[in-house]
Formats: sequence, C-alpha cells, structure tokens
Amino acid sequence: MARSLGITSLQILGAVRDGISYGLDIVARTRLPSGTVYPTLGRLKKSGLVKARWEDQRVAEREGRPRRRYYELTAEGEEALATGAARVTIIAADLQPNATGT
Amino acid sequence: MSLRLASACVRFASILVPGDRRREWVEEWRGELAALEAERAEGGVGLPSAIGFSLGAIPHGFWMRTEGWTVDGVLQDLKYSARILRRAPGFTAVAVLTLALGIGANASIFSLVNGLVLRDPAGVVEPDQLVQIARSYEEAPRWDNFSWPAMESIALEERVFSGVAGFQDFTFVVGRGSETERISGELVTGNYFEVLGIQPHVGRLLHPADDLEPAAHSVVILSHSLWTTRYGSDPGIVGQTLAIGATPYRILGVAPPGFAGIQSVGTSPRLWVPAMQLAALSGRSPFDSWGSSWINVFGRLQEGVSFASAEAAMPIVSTRLRESNPVNDGMVVVLESGVGLDPEGRREARQISVILLLIVGLVLLITCSNVANLLLTRAAGRRTEVAVRAALGARRMRLIRQMVTESSLLAALATVLAIPLVYGAGRFLPALFPYAVSVSLEADVRVYGFLILTGIVAGFLFGIAPAWAISRRDLTGALREGSSTSGRGKTRLRDALVISQLGLSLGLVAGTALLGRSVRNATTAEPGFQPGGLVAGVISLEPTGRYNEAEGRALYRQLIQDAQRAPGVRAATIANQLPIAGGHSRGSVRRFGAPEDQRFEAEYVVIGPNYFETMGIPLVRGRALGGFDDEPESVVVINEALAALFWPGDEAVGQELEAQGVTWRVVGVVENVQMRSLRSPAQPAVYYPFAHVYGSQMALHLAGSAGVAPPLSLVRSLVAEADPELPVSQVYNLQNAMTASMGETRTIGFLVGAFAALALTLAVVGLYGLVSYGASQRVREIGIRIALGARHRSLVRLILGRAMLIASGGLALGVVISFGLGRVLESLLFGVAPSSLGTIAAAAAILMVAAGIAAWLPARRASRVDAAVSLRDA
Repeated sequence: MARSLGITSLQILGAVRDGISYGLDIVARTRLPSGTVYPTLGRLKKSGLVKARWEDQRVAEREGRPRRRYYELTAEGEEALATGAARVTIIAADLQPNATGT
Repeated sequence: MSLRLASACVRFASILVPGDRRREWVEEWRGELAALEAERAEGGVGLPSAIGFSLGAIPHGFWMRTEGWTVDGVLQDLKYSARILRRAPGFTAVAVLTLALGIGANASIFSLVNGLVLRDPAGVVEPDQLVQIARSYEEAPRWDNFSWPAMESIALEERVFSGVAGFQDFTFVVGRGSETERISGELVTGNYFEVLGIQPHVGRLLHPADDLEPAAHSVVILSHSLWTTRYGSDPGIVGQTLAIGATPYRILGVAPPGFAGIQSVGTSPRLWVPAMQLAALSGRSPFDSWGSSWINVFGRLQEGVSFASAEAAMPIVSTRLRESNPVNDGMVVVLESGVGLDPEGRREARQISVILLLIVGLVLLITCSNVANLLLTRAAGRRTEVAVRAALGARRMRLIRQMVTESSLLAALATVLAIPLVYGAGRFLPALFPYAVSVSLEADVRVYGFLILTGIVAGFLFGIAPAWAISRRDLTGALREGSSTSGRGKTRLRDALVISQLGLSLGLVAGTALLGRSVRNATTAEPGFQPGGLVAGVISLEPTGRYNEAEGRALYRQLIQDAQRAPGVRAATIANQLPIAGGHSRGSVRRFGAPEDQRFEAEYVVIGPNYFETMGIPLVRGRALGGFDDEPESVVVINEALAALFWPGDEAVGQELEAQGVTWRVVGVVENVQMRSLRSPAQPAVYYPFAHVYGSQMALHLAGSAGVAPPLSLVRSLVAEADPELPVSQVYNLQNAMTASMGETRTIGFLVGAFAALALTLAVVGLYGLVSYGASQRVREIGIRIALGARHRSLVRLILGRAMLIASGGLALGVVISFGLGRVLESLLFGVAPSSLGTIAAAAAILMVAAGIAAWLPARRASRVDAAVSLRDA
C-alpha cells in the first residue's frame, strides 16, 4: 500500500463496504460535502480500492430515469479499510485522556 | 425547480471536465440528480441541502481537470509565466496597476459595507440575541425612542427579555475655564454594559445600583480612546475625578478597546454616565413623564427565545403601555434584530452600499476588459511563439493552461498590490463618508477574503478571453503566415471589449453628471426660508450651572440686542432648532376640542422676536409673534401644512390648539419650511413664542445685510462678550449646512466622478490601442492604396469609420447603462430626473469627442505612411 488513507477516505470506504453504493447515499451517510465525496471516490477508484459500475440500462429505462453509477469495494479496498481502521483505533486510544502512552 | 438549477450547475461544471471523460461524468451526475429529485419528492431532502449537493459538481469537475497535474508541471508553468511577464515590464506594470485599482476599489467599498452593516460591535457578547426596541403607531409607522416609564414597562416582560437597557447621546462639557472641552458620550442605564456583556478594561463598569436616583450618581466610565489620549493610559485612573459642567465625576473604569457604543454611525461616544444624571446635566428630570420620549431602548432575548416569538409577545407589551397612559394611544412596540443601525439607517446604508458596490463592480468590469484587451493584443503578437510550441508537441490544453497561469499570476500580483490600497481606504473612507462613522473600518478576515475572491473572479474574467482565443486559433496557419497580417474576424472579441468599456464609462460619466447637477441644485434650492446670509450658533446654558430661567431670559435678550447692533447684521433672533442643519424636535398637538386620540406630532419650534423676518419666511395670514414683553397671551404661529391638516378650508387664524396642557390661539400662518432635509417634504409645524416656552439651549441666528453672511466668529465673539465662559457648541453657515446636507450625493458623486474619469481613460486608451493595432495590421493595404493615388483624407476616413462604428456601439450600450444607473441613483438625486436626456446627451458628447480624438490620432499617423517603405517592410 502506497500511502495511509485519511479519515475521509476511510469513512467513504466504510460506507461502500456497508453496501451504500451510490454517491448521493454516501453523502447522506458520511455527512461529507458532495464536493469532497466524488473526487475522493475518483481517487479511490484510480488507486484500485473501489470499482465503479453502471447499473443495468434496462432497469433504469423501465423506471423512466437515467442509469446510475455505483461503487463496490475491491479486495485491495477491503484490506486498506481494515488496515486503516486498525490504525485509527490505535490513534483514538492514544487520544484518550487517561492513556498512559506506554 | 431545484432540478433545473441543479442541472444548470452540473452543466456549468462539465466545462471543467476534460473532453474525453465528460460524457461519462455528466451521465453519473444526471443519475444522482434524478435520484435526489425522487428523494425530494418524498420530502426526504430540503432545498438547501439539495442545492448544496449539486454545487459539489463544481469541485468535482475541477478535480477531474486538475487530476493529472503534477506539482512540477504547475511550477514549470509558473516559472515560464514569470519569465514572460518579466520580459514585458511595461505591459506587466500597466496590467497589474489597472487590476489592483479595480480590485482595491471593490475591496475598499466592501470594507465599508462590512464595517457598517455586517460586523458586530466590538466586545459585545452574543450579539445575535440583541434586539432594538422602538415605538411605532398603527396609522403612521415609524421608528422612535421611548419615555423612561415606557422602557421600564417593557423591561417587565421577563419571559422575553433577560435585560432591557437604554442610552441617549449626550455632549458633555468637560473641564473648567479655558480648558473646557466638549466630549460626546452617552447617558446609559445602569445595566447597559451588563446587557451587552461588556467587560471592563480597567476598574469596573456601571451597575444598576449606579442609576437609581435622579442626579445622585456622579460617576463616569471612560472609553479606551479617551483613557489613552487624555490620561496617557494611566493605570491608576480609577477613583480620579473628571469635571463635567460644575460637578466632579468619579471615574469608575475604562471600557475595552474598540467599544464605541452600539451605533455604527454618529459620533463615537467617549464617555458614559448614568442616565439618571440627565437631571443634573440638563435640569430635566423626565423619569416619571410618559410624554417625554428620549431614550433609545434595546434588549437581550432570554435564552431559547427566538426573534419571532419575541415579536409575537410584543402586542401584550403594547397593550400594557396603552393602558398605562393615554399618551400611548395607538402605540405599537416593534423590534429589529441586532444592533448597529436602526431600520431606517439600515435601509439607507444598504442603499448606499448597493450603489457603491455596483459602481465599483462596473469599474472592475472595465479594468478586466482592459487587461483582457492588452492580453489579446499580446496574444496576437505571440502567435508565432505559441505555434512553435504547438509544433514542438505542446497539447492545446497545455497551452491554455499556460495562458491561465499567466493570468492568475497577474491577478495574484494585483491582489497583493491592492492590500495597501484597502488598508489605506480604511483610514480614508470614513472622512469621505457623509456620516460620522463610529465603527472601525479596518480590514478584517472578511475583507481580505473578499479581496482574494475578487482577485480570483477578476483573473477568471480577463484570463478567459485570451485563453479562448488561443484555443480556437489555427496554429499551423499562424506559423506559416508569420505575424504580419491578421484576419478581421479575429479582432471581433477586442471590438466587443472596447464597446463594453465605452458603454460602461458612458454610464459612469452620465451618473457623475446627474449627481453633480443634484449638488448644484441643492445650493440654489428654496427650502421655504432664505439660507443666504444666515449664520447660527448653539448655546447651552445648563452645563455652566449658573443660569436660572430669569437669568437665561435676560442673557438671550441681551444677546439679540447686541447682535442687532453689530456691523453687517440685518436682523437677529433665537430659536430652539435650525432648519436642515439638524436638531429637529417634535411636540404633540391637538386641535382644541378634538378627541384625545386625534393628537399629531408637529415640528416644535420655539422662536424669539423677529424670527420670520430674520429667516426670510413669508407670513401668509395674520401676524408674526412679538418680542419678549409683547405677548401676554398664549399665542402661536403655525405653518400652512398644519393649517390645512387641522382646519382644511377654514381660516386658521383665531382658532385654538392644545399642546403641553396649554391652549394656544393661532395668530398667524407662515409658509412651509423643510426642517429636516431638502429631500423630505415640509411637515406641519407650530412656532411657540420664547416668551412662553423657555429653553436653556437655543441657537442664536444672525442674518447678514444684503444677503452677505456675517463671519462665523461674530457669533462666538457676541457670546463671549456676554459671558466669556459660555460654550458655543456648533456654529453654522446655513447655506453651507444645506449644501452639506447633500453630503451623500456629493460623496457618491465624487467617487463616481473619479471612477468615471478612470473608466473613460481606460476605454479611450483601449480604443486608441485597437485603432492603432488595426491600422498597423493594414499597413500593406494602406501602402497599396497610397501608391494607387488614394488621398490622406479618404484613408483617415477609412480607418476612422470603423472606430466610429465601435464608438457608436459603445454609445448605444452606454445609453442603456445610463438609464439603469440613473434609476439606481434616484434616491440621491435632487431636482433632476434620473433619465434626464440632456444629461445623458452631454455625457455622450464627451464620450464621442474623447473617442474621436483617440481614433483620429492613429488614423492620421497611418495615412501618412510612406507607400514605398510600407510595401517594402510588409
């Protein structure tokens, strides 16, 4: 893994892992601004942590709306999320006021 | 609705996305927006968050564009741009200076708006919870202050207000003898500082216990500025005394730095004294009087009470006030959120702000189009360079990026250069502003934020044209042709820019002319009295503590007698207020026998003998008021407006009216006088004889012989002769005061005039540049024409014709802008129509003459070309 992921990326990866696959829903879940979520998704896609797929054209046409793009976690994404989450847990523990620091 | 706005946003952002990925990008966003709309239909998402969501498309698009950019690439662009700009120092200097002016003007005006309207008063805790409280009337809405008992009654509403406090401006006469100084301050209720949450800088501030009994609390709080300037920041100040009038006041403490009351305009208060001291300072003790309204009231809302629910509770308060005293009949209590400016002040400030921002916005547009023009000219000259870079493999996108970097660098330099301008404006603007600005206008984070934003917008505005021009150019063609000729179509963009510059500057020139005519009209206006030759000075007996009513009367009588004997004085009198110069007061009057609720607040003017003669106010019917001893009965003179209001169609002379519990007989009617300002119509007025109504603060009026104003010093010397220690607070030349009352118009006229001159210069330089460039591109053609025998005159006409076409375009656009700007300025105009054709025609003539000269010079030069030389060189 190249660089450790930031909190924003982890939040978004977490949402995608939980099956929240559309950008709009990720915005709702993470409460991050849409101007942050979409570029981050783009970056995650580029580094291969998420895949983007188009929904079936026929489904969209049947419902009379444009088709939507959804995101899925790749195996690398799963791994990066696990590593990142562990790291965040350690940091969170360090930040507790009663942490001894040992 | 929201979907349309959202798709517009996405469509706009899609411009940023690289072409090869744009379709996919747009499709994804379209899908998301459709889903968002579906959720909105179910009521899941509010409109603001939906708009917020779709705005995210802009940073997303921007990210797509810059995704592949490396730091090295951007740095390389920057270095290259810096080198290019350094190589053309003349161009860089002109562009950066022009832009800095445009950007600096915008940020400076914004700092004014920021200080007056947007910024909260210094030191106040949670200003959002503060409300201004005023009385209004159902039949005649207004914004007015309260009587003391009314304020106390409002404060009872403890479910709404956690505290209610009051203040009133007061000018204190400080020090003794020759060191007497007048210091403006405020009389404030004991809880004033507590309600605001102000913390002392030194010592302590006032407590409610400091304001319990009339004339019993000789204590004072100093402002930080008074403490530093008068006492050299003496830390041991607490406990020292300050003589106000004849009484020593104990200094309790110093207010924090920057705190200057809660009003944004007016003189900054420099000391605060308990309101109950009014009794000691002026001899008036209106603390039990419902009829005397004098204190400005504000309150802090209880925790958790919203402004709307506070407003909803006011009818209860109004009812209680009406039931308390018949004076309050018809009164309604109104609220305004926040402090700083009352609603009328806010409206005025907003209006002036809009006008100023609009004007500086126009100036910014002109400067941007000017720099865009310069860049386009350079771009034309750099076509070979660009073509070479393209031939060497630079992608078009890369070239545009280079141009954009150059524009950004220019904008950044201009923004940095604008910072000292804005800083300077913070000091310079308050002096220019028609009101005394009591708040600091120094730039804060918000002003610098605005400055940077303006810089970015400007960079975008002037950078987009040349980048677009480059991207459309046939690059290989340029390389082949060299740089000597250029098709006509290519200059169309520059034509458009010059046309818009000419149009905008015509608008500004016309605006200046309208404002200038208004100021001139004001100097010759006839407000119902003869301002020419009148001077006046305000005398306050109370602060000296040495005059009772009989002695006061004797002094004023002496003053008038002395004044009438002074050389150059035609007539002299006294009155309690000066028309237009300010200090207007009103009193409640009622037609005798009319029901109690038919009271009317008329102008309240107390006058000495010969008032109408001195002021040049014509008597219409009846007689004027007599001298000190000639009016044993209670008689008044009224103006035509009150006569028409109370006795329409009837003879007013001989009728009776009731005011201050006295019945007055009307003995005369005079013409209406505009007491307030030239722009507000005359109000009904009652003139009371000084013989019956004593006032300790009166203004001595002198009318000069033959309309020549006596020197202002005469007022002071007359008073000094009568009593050397008697202070004369303000001295006015009424003609000048009247002109000064048009201060806003003059200030804005001055600003618009300065900007118009700048704009016209830029536009004319732009036109000159365009014609010179056009002519230089046609040197070969001109040479051929000359060789074929064309005359100079026909050549000049050939080149001038096109220039005049452009100027006419600018003229047409400018007329439209002039009409629009005239409408915006309407409230500031006086005696001139906002769409005055004569004014616009005069402005248009100025523009055409300037344009003609700017075009004729290069045209003449081009027509003198030596045919042989031009053909050989071209």
